[in-house]
This record gives sequence, structure tokens and C-alpha cells, in this order.
Amino acid sequence: MLRITGGKVYDPANGVNGVIRDVCIQDGRIVADVEAGRTINATGMVVFPGGVDVHTHVAGAALNFARAMIPEDHLHSEPFVRTAIRRGGISGATPTTYVTGYLYGGLGYTTVNEAAVPILSARHTHEELRDTPIVDKSTCVLMANNEILLDQLEAGETERARHFLAWCVGAAKAYGVKAVNPGGVTAWKWGKDANTLYELVPGYNKITPAGIIQSLARIVDDLGLPHPLHLHCNNLGVPGNYATTLETLKLVESNRAHIAHIQYHAYGGNDWTTMRSESTRIADYFNAHPNLTADAGAVLFGNTVTITADGPWQHLLYKLTGRKWGNIDVENETGCGVVPYVYKEKNLVNAIQWAVGLEMLLLISDPWRMSLTTDHPNGAAFWRYPEIIELLMNADFRREQIKKLPPKVLERIILPELTREYTLYEIAIITSAGPARSLGLRQKGHLGIGADADVAVFNDIKEARKMFAYPRYVIKGGEVVIEEGEVRKTVEGHSLLTQPFHDPKIADFIRPLFQQYYTMSFDNYPVEMERLEHPDVQPCTQANS
Amino acid sequence: MGGKVSCTLGEVKNRADLIVYWGGNPAECHPRHFTKYSLMPKGRFVPNGRKDRTMILVDIRETASAKAADIFLQVRPAKDFEMITVLRALIKEQPVDTKLVAETGLTLEELTDFAQRLKKAKFGVFFFGMGLSMTRGKHMNSAALLTLAAELNAFTKFVAMPMRGHGNVTGGDVIMRWTTGYPFGVNLARGYPRFNPGEYSTIDLLIRGDTDAVLVLGADPGATMPQPAIDHMVRVPTIVLDPKVTHTSKIARVHITTAVTGISAPGTAYRMDEIPLPLKPPLKSPYPTDEEVIRRIYQAVAKKPPLMPPVRPKVPRV
Amino acid sequence: MSQTIFTLKQRPDVPLEAEVLTPDVVASLSHGEVASLPLFMGKRQFRVDDFFEVNGSGTDNLVFHGDCGRVKWIGRAMSHGRITFSSHAGMHLGAYMKGGIIKVGGDASDWVGGEMSGGLIHIHGHAGGQTGAAYRGSMKGMKGGTILIEGSAGIELGMRMRRGLIAVRGPVRDFAGLQMKGGTILLMSGAEIRTGAWMVRGTIISLKPLKMMPTFSAGCVYNPNFLRLYTKSLAEHGFTTPVDAWHGVYRRYTGDTSVPGKGEILVWSGPAH
Ligand SMILES: [Zn+2]
Repeated sequence: MLRITGGKVYDPANGVNGVIRDVCIQDGRIVADVEAGRTINATGMVVFPGGVDVHTHVAGAALNFARAMIPEDHLHSEPFVRTAIRRGGISGATPTTYVTGYLYGGLGYTTVNEAAVPILSARHTHEELRDTPIVDKSTCVLMANNEILLDQLEAGETERARHFLAWCVGAAKAYGVKAVNPGGVTAWKWGKDANTLYELVPGYNKITPAGIIQSLARIVDDLGLPHPLHLHCNNLGVPGNYATTLETLKLVESNRAHIAHIQYHAYGGNDWTTMRSESTRIADYFNAHPNLTADAGAVLFGNTVTITADGPWQHLLYKLTGRKWGNIDVENETGCGVVPYVYKEKNLVNAIQWAVGLEMLLLISDPWRMSLTTDHPNGAAFWRYPEIIELLMNADFRREQIKKLPPKVLERIILPELTREYTLYEIAIITSAGPARSLGLRQKGHLGIGADADVAVFNDIKEARKMFAYPRYVIKGGEVVIEEGEVRKTVEGHSLLTQPFHDPKIADFIRPLFQQYYTMSFDNYPVEMERLEHPDVQPCTQANS
Repeated sequence: MGGKVSCTLGEVKNRADLIVYWGGNPAECHPRHFTKYSLMPKGRFVPNGRKDRTMILVDIRETASAKAADIFLQVRPAKDFEMITVLRALIKEQPVDTKLVAETGLTLEELTDFAQRLKKAKFGVFFFGMGLSMTRGKHMNSAALLTLAAELNAFTKFVAMPMRGHGNVTGGDVIMRWTTGYPFGVNLARGYPRFNPGEYSTIDLLIRGDTDAVLVLGADPGATMPQPAIDHMVRVPTIVLDPKVTHTSKIARVHITTAVTGISAPGTAYRMDEIPLPLKPPLKSPYPTDEEVIRRIYQAVAKKPPLMPPVRPKVPRV
Repeated sequence: MSQTIFTLKQRPDVPLEAEVLTPDVVASLSHGEVASLPLFMGKRQFRVDDFFEVNGSGTDNLVFHGDCGRVKWIGRAMSHGRITFSSHAGMHLGAYMKGGIIKVGGDASDWVGGEMSGGLIHIHGHAGGQTGAAYRGSMKGMKGGTILIEGSAGIELGMRMRRGLIAVRGPVRDFAGLQMKGGTILLMSGAEIRTGAWMVRGTIISLKPLKMMPTFSAGCVYNPNFLRLYTKSLAEHGFTTPVDAWHGVYRRYTGDTSVPGKGEILVWSGPAH
């Protein structure tokens, strides 16, 4: 039993805006009152629901591939020295799994969504997530370039496609469905890309990226998955891509969709020299369409490594940087590319990217539909979120930072004109309540009675950067895991998953195809439930169909 | 700087029309490789199987695998690095020295033809073995082939993959990466991981005699390592965990018999392309699993007073 | 000039890590403070005086007696002062060094002057592998300063170096100047194979014939007069070069064409006419 008393509580999901009240915890849940147990005096502090990261890359084959590529980054990152409580490890752009848990917990985050999991290596992702303490974990399975699925869409077998997709979510022990550069990764397997939404996908006679996007958004809604289609649009990072993004948003008008790392999809211009921000156009459309949610994918200057299932983009980035490049294509399902990258303040393109991330966060008017992310580690490592919060809450600080950019940038961005400053209430929305709602996690992102007892307590100070970097207390599932910025206890997290309904006979349909196209035995393909740490199946709204 | 461009084996099965084995003898060492993944299977985009594929073998001698190859290129011993570097120049149409090229054992014409085939493939793959990675030049030979594969992607689709030895080497590599950030050659003595192959890799530690104890798990270094390394294992307390008595057990102070992973102990094995496969043991063993033994050793050690003071001095990062 | 003298009591079984033993750390300390600085051996922490007899209080002039071949990281990132070894020195000697002088009477191990940016390291015996090299994964090796080796040197000498000078009197093993991007390497007794492999820029000068990579193009024969400058500055450090070397003519090779790079290798081809 635990009582947090005297703190200013921000619980947007329940309309609580900076009210001094007690938060009581028993058996891992928020309760109305407790009679005994520890009391934390949070006078002079603010109390938030535990943070929720809607889009991050913290585990699995691609990230683990990246880890091996950047020993030089590990060498210069802060080492985590082993203690009696916590294990040793490495921070930096691709923290080791245990350190990932400590670092997220150390920011007051208690739930993360690993956004890109191939079914074929989902077992690996879950093994890593098991070794990621403190946070609860959900995953999105990559479907938009799955060739068995594309074959069904090509053949017009939409119902079978739905059953197949539902089976895949269950097999991967995933929570949601992710679409990355629909059709483009398949094309990449021949060294090509899908640059327009209406061209045929190489190897197919009927399907286009547009068709894949619409079908997937519809299937996800039909299955009643709690999280909408998690969509990484085509032409990521390319100047002039805002047009593709707008077309994509129109395609999903009659469905729900979550637009991942929207910053990377809001550029104008024709090439790298004429690139400019088109955040206003994207935000205007977005603001008028409540079916959409998004996350920022904001960029901060400095060293990082970019990892995405978007193979063609990564090859382009490699050609631009001339540095290292890693790529793994995953049979029949997806691909992945890895390129170490430095975002430089004095680089025109990078400066525009930095500005566009903040512009999107400031221009999207409804904070409930916009989550704070850096598409970790693509835009910056997640442990740098407090720097972004400072930029959002403090327009003066923002102006100081803009002054450091090359002057040429000013005519390409609109950031200097934006005066909005986020309130603490809005920060609680974009870091917790909003992403929880977008993910459809009813137990998360709020402090109402019955919610999971995931709570973050921060000093109520002016500098948001310091305030959010060092929470005074972090409570996960009712246990105090962080105190005074130090790891005090390392609890195990839950694995959040869904099991959407599928016709059990679909397995008989998949088996022969699988034997033909794959190199693993079909029986070994689905991840066994026993391999998950504390599996926690979340309901779909459509029990069957 | 190049990089590492790879894929899962199913991509090879479904797409590869050019398969190059380099410094390996799959016919004898990985017999299922041809039939399951690379040469023979009918794939989605290579429906005629073997007929749709070209295989090239590069090795220092004509091994049994040469029979399976369409083209055999015999490179002189320890000239792989030169040969690959020449290919890197040729694909970019850069000049090379004809006379020095010939010292690789292959003529400029042969290498030019090879470079053209690499560029013209629709989907090419290099599988490389210890004949490349363990001969003079070692990691730089592998780096050369990985770089060549990465650079070929300016023209077509090309990947490269090491053919690992037996046992779950890849699994060890994968787990080291997620727990320490590094694949091998990791030192944890200072409470956090440090990486420096040559300094912290097992063979170098043993040859220099840098350790005062050795724990051997899932390996038989007593059979494979050079004599100075073996001498050191004899000198210091060496503990072996293995289902059977190995060469190393014979020189070790302690041998602990453990259950055979995959037959009587569960777990995960990672295939050479890092795809995880569940191990579902059909039998039970009277012996403890490796994991259980390690856990018990760890628990016993944890009871001892810590070796480092609780507050560590501020020292520079090394 | 006052000195701080460290005499090794016994050669350690397991290598010692002594990154605190630099003029920057030691100079301002009392004798007692120097003696109690931390050293690490495996998982254990020790004091300097557990392994060394310490004479004198802290100065910026450190002298090591005894075989320190198993003591790593001495002189790490030093910016000034002087370190002298009467015998051998261990791995990572003068790594990340910014300034000052290190002199080794005996041999040094691997990674001498790894990623150093300034200062002078003079080894009278042999040096190990990766001298003046980049650490694993890093794009930049030595960025400045001078490394002089009277004996032989191991593999990957000056790997990915950007600036600075490395001169080796004895033979050098494989991959000297690997992926070099700048700076100068002087090989007085040649090198085994793969010299200058994948080099992008920079200069390698060899006074002995070299086994060239096939990816270098042979060019003209000439007398590069900048060599006189090098010989002069080397002589100032007591590192002598034969008169023929700077009077001689050199065959110029450029490469590595596989990159493609614009590095140059100058191979002595005889005395000037
Ligand atoms: Zn992402």
C-alpha cells in the first residue's frame, strides 16, 4: 500500500489539471484510499501518470543488428556500472536491454510500444523484451510487405487476408499492426522503391501501395484491434513527400490510422537543396480529421543511428552519408536498414528536420492526437525527451535555439512564428494520456480508480529539461522503482498483446504456402505464449466476425 | 566505410540467382545448405530451382563443393583480400595493376568477368567460411567481402553472410549484443561492458595469459586453439560444462556434466541468419542444464563480499 | 627537474589498468595521494602502492622502472608533461594523448597512441599492433602528434589516421596505413603486405621496396623535397634517417583505387642522380 500526498496531480484523462490531491495505490492499482503503508510526501512536486511511448525501437533483430555496428558510440556513451540492484550495460543510441528499462523508468516512462516486429524473428524480440525491466511492452507486427498477405490482396481474397493477418498478430504475440513503406520494401528486394501510391508493386499486377494501405486500415478496424493501423508512409524523409503523406491520409479517411513519426513526412521542395517545411499543410488536414492520431518523430542534434524497416530509404541515407550501412531483408515479410547518423545544427537539411518536428507538435492543436516521440533512435535517443519538452514549454528557449541555425533555414520553416507554449497538463497528455488512448490501453495513461499504478513524480521547477530528466519517484505497478533519480528496484514488466479472431482453418491454408516460401518449420513459426513475460491479453472490440 | 548487408536464408531461397561460396566447403561442412536454402530449392522468384541459379566457388583448392559449382575460381592462399579489393575497384571501373592482379592466381580477364557477373545478378549472395575469415588478414578479409557486397548494391541487390561453425555461435553473439552492446570480445571486469577484439577475445587472452581462471561453455578450445592458449588453460583453474568429456575436460580441474541442449534441455538456437528457433527437447536428462549450473555458481559467488568498494572512484572511461 | 618515480614491485599475473597514471592527474597530488590512486586488476580495485614503490610527490614528470608490459593505459589522454619508462610499457600507452612526451626504453604493446591528437611518443624497442590506430568502429585514428619507433611494429599501423607522423625504423607487419585518411607514415625497413590498403588520402614513404596492392597505380619517379623537412624534424627528436633517404628519388604510387582513394605511397628507388 502506498499513498502519494501533497503533490499537484495532472491526470488529463480524468480532467484533473494540477489539483493537489492524494494518489493511493494497492495491489498494483490506483484505489480511492489506503489505510496503511508507505506515504510519499510529494509537496512541491507534480504527479503524472506513467509515461507511454507509442513508437520506439528498443528490441529485436534490427536494433540488435545496429548495436553491433556502433561500438564507437558505445565507447563514448555513459556506462551503466553494475550494482547490487541493477545490471551493467551501455546507454547511448542503442542502449542494452536492461539499461533501456532503467533509462525509460528513469524518465518516468512505464509502457513502451516496440513499433516494428517481423513475425519470423518475433521470438527474438520477445526474448529481448523479457530482458527489458520496469516497463510494460507492446509490439506492432510488420504486415504491409508480407508477400502471403499481398498475394491475398492481389487475388481479391480480402476475407482470407483478414484471417491471415489476425493469425499473424496472434503468432507474433503482437499487440498491433504496422505498415512500413507499403509495397516499397517488397520492391527494395529487387533494389527498387515504391515512390508513388498508384504504381503497381513490382511482381504484382493489381496491387498498389494505395490499395495495401486501404486494405490494412480496414482490416485492422474490422478486427477491432485496440490500436489503429500504425502507418509509416511511403517516401519517408524525401523532400516533397508531404504530397504523398496527404494522399495517404485521404486514403484512410473512413478508417482510423496512427501516422508514425509524422515529422519525416512533412517536407516540401524538390531536392535536398530546395527542401522546406510543409508542416502547415499536413497539420491543417490532420486537425480537421479526428480519425487520425500521430507521433512526432522529432529530431535533436547529435549522434544517433537510424533503424527502419524502410530499406530503400536507408540505402539512400548511406549514399548521402558515405558511412556505414547495414541491411537485413526478412524473407516474405519485410526488411530493415541501419545507418549511423549525425544530425548537425549547421546542416540545412538537419536544421529543417529539427524545426519540422517541433512545428508538427505545435501546429497539431489537439494534444490527445499527437504523442511525443523521436522514433527512437532515429531522430534522437528516447532519453533526450526532456530536451524536447523544454522546447515545447518555453518559447524563449526555442527562439534562442533557432538563432543557432544557419540563417538560410529561416525562410524554409515557420517555427519562429509559432508562439504556443505547452502547459504541464498538455505535456501529461502527449507523454502519457494521449499515447495510451491512441494505443487503446485503458489501464494506462491515467490515475483513475482501477488504473495500473504507474506513476511519475517530478520536482515542480521551471526548467523542464531538468524536471523531466530526474523524476523524484517512479512507481511501476505499485512498486517504487526510481527514487531520487536512482534505480531502487527492478520489477518485471508485462507483455501486452491481442489475439484477434481468426478462422482456425486459416492455418491449413498457410501451412503449404509456408513450406513453399519459408525456410523454417511451420510449427516453429508462432511464438509460444510461455516465452512471454507476464502475458496480458488486451481485448479487441470485435470478438469475432 | 562499407557495412553489413544481409538477409534471412529464405530470401536466398526465393530470390538468389547468383550464389558465391567463398572459402567454405558447404558440400562437406554444411551439407543441407545446398538443398534447403541456396542451390536446389525452387523459390518464389526462381521457380526452376538449380536451373535458375548460378553458383561460383572461390577457394584455394578444388574441394568437393567445386563439383556443385558452375564456375570454380582458385585463389592463391592468402590472396583473398587482394582479390576482393581488386573486385571492388573493377565494379567501379577503376584501374588495377594487371601483373599484380595475376599474383592472386586469377587473371584480370577472369576477375573482370566475375565482377560483371556480380553486377548483373538480380539477387546475389556471398556465403563466406573460415577459409576467408581465419586466414591471413582475418577480420579484414571478412570486412572486405562485406564491403564489396554493400557496394554492389549501387548496381543490384547483393548480400553477404558468414557460414558459422557448429553449435549455437550465432545465439551467443546475438545475446551478447543485447546484454552488452557488443557481439564478442567483451570484458565485464569494470562493471560495464568493454569491447576490444585482440585484447579481450578469448584466444588472445589465453595466449597472453591474462586470465587467472577459465570457464568453458559449449566449446572445446582444448581441441582447436593453439598450444600456448592450451598451456595457459592447464596452468590456471579451468572449469568445463559439457554433456560429454572433451579435450578441454581432460586438461581442466573441474568438469561438470550437463544436459544436452536441444535434446534434453530447452532453449533457443539462432540460425546463421539470426532467425531464432525454439528447441523443444524430446528427452529428459538426469543432469542439470548449463543455465542451472551457471545460476548456482552465480548464487554462490553472490554470497561472497563484493570485490569492488560500493562507491567507485571517478576515473576516466577506458 | 623533480620527478615522480614508480618502481613496479612485481609483474602482475592479470594485467593492471592504470589510466590515472598521467601527468594531468598526478602533478598536483602529494606523495600520499599518488600512492593511494586507484588501479584495477580484473574485478578488483587496488592502490598504486600495492604494485608500485612511489618516490617523490606528484609532478608532471613520471618515471617508471621495472617491466610495465602488463600495465595498461598509462598516459591516457595526457596533455602535457613527460613519462619515461626504463623498460617496457603495456597496452594503450598514450591513447587519446593530446600533448607532452612519452619515452619507452623497452618495448610497447598494442594500441600505442590510439586516437592521439598531439604530443610525442618515442619507443626504443618494438611496438605492437594498431599503433596510432582508430578504436574499433571509430572513423578516426591518430589526429596529430608524432610516434617514433626504433624497433619493429605490428599490424594495422596508423589505421584510419587523419594527421600526424609515424616513423618506424624496423620492419612493419601487414596493413600499415589501412584506410588512412591523412598524415604521414615513414617505413625505414619496409612492411610485409597490404600497405596502404583502402587508403583515401595521406602519404606512406618507404625506404625499402614494398609488396604493393594491385589497386595502386604507379606514377613518376621524383625527389619529393618535403622529405627534407621531415628528416629535419625527426632529427630534432633524435630519430636519424640515412642521408640517401632525403637525397634519393622515389617512385610514386596512388590509390587505393578500390575506394577510390587519392593516397600516395612513395617508394625509394635509388640515390639522386
Ligand atoms: Zn520507427
